Amino acid sequence: MNASKEEFLKMLSDYQGILHKVSLVYFKNKADREDNIQEIIYQLWKSYSSLKNPESIGSWVYRVAINTSLSRIKKKARIEYRKDIPEIEDKSDIAEEVAEQDSRSLLLKAIRSLDEIDRSIMLLYLEEKSYEEIAGITGISKSNVGVRINRVKKVLKQHLKKYDHGK
Amino acid sequence: MLESKTKQTVNKYIVILGVSVAVSAGLLIYLLITSLNRQDDLFFLLNNALLGILTLGSLISGLWSWYKLQNNLYDLPLKFWLEERIEFLSRWLNRKSAKWSLFLIPVLYVLIVLSVHVYFEHRLFVEVLQTEESLVGLIVGAVVGLTVSFYVFRKIRKYQLDNLEFLRRLYQKLCDV
Repeated sequence: MNASKEEFLKMLSDYQGILHKVSLVYFKNKADREDNIQEIIYQLWKSYSSLKNPESIGSWVYRVAINTSLSRIKKKARIEYRKDIPEIEDKSDIAEEVAEQDSRSLLLKAIRSLDEIDRSIMLLYLEEKSYEEIAGITGISKSNVGVRINRVKKVLKQHLKKYDHGK
Repeated sequence: MLESKTKQTVNKYIVILGVSVAVSAGLLIYLLITSLNRQDDLFFLLNNALLGILTLGSLISGLWSWYKLQNNLYDLPLKFWLEERIEFLSRWLNRKSAKWSLFLIPVLYVLIVLSVHVYFEHRLFVEVLQTEESLVGLIVGAVVGLTVSFYVFRKIRKYQLDNLEFLRRLYQKLCDV
């Protein structure tokens, strides 16, 4: 850690919410989320010197957080898809408990049922990112972002209806 | 707390690299000292020299891979990051040296065992090799080493192929509209 350490920590404390949100969308288990956040911090630190535009720090943090989470979800994904072992949710997590107290828990459940790519796009959409910002984070065109969001919204609606009826 | 978490994460990676470098450096020092103490045994010196070259080669290649991995930044837009990862992994899986490194573990094993065994037996390299027990031990060790390295390499290759398949699937999903 050198002279930029203070700036980095300041930036991290300002934007740490993004790290938690992205991890919450990809990992159900608290320990997995904590590991993921550590890895994101490391990747942020590594690429901090290459941060060219300080005005778009939020998008930069999202890019690193999403890419890191996707690179870590591989193992989990293989276990879930191939062996079909249900993941045990850690109920002792405060973040999880808070989310469960209101309707956000249903939304979180619905988002987690989407595929890996759509989860990120929906999270960015719900965070009120513009199509341009989402395109900048994902690397796809603005029009593709629009098409995809409309499609994912429909899927999400269906999931939410299903959960509502299941109550 | 955030600061300590950051330091802890960065340190974790430095420790992994540090251990590998320390083991290789330790082996190189051992080879140097034992070679200086047994300058009259030409075959022992050749064995140590070969072991030294292979260790140094592995160390440099390990450090190079680590350096390249460090340069693999995660701050690219998802699509370009996926493209880069897919290309990197495909190249790594298809590299020619992958097949050669399969045989490196048993070779290193035999060379290390020979070096240690000959040195502490206080006999000449050729004399030790002519002993039946030593030969049997070496042959069994080499076969076991080859089997283990074959198993490990197969596991790693399968893991990397699964990763590649996963990344391609993600890329496909991202591009499908």
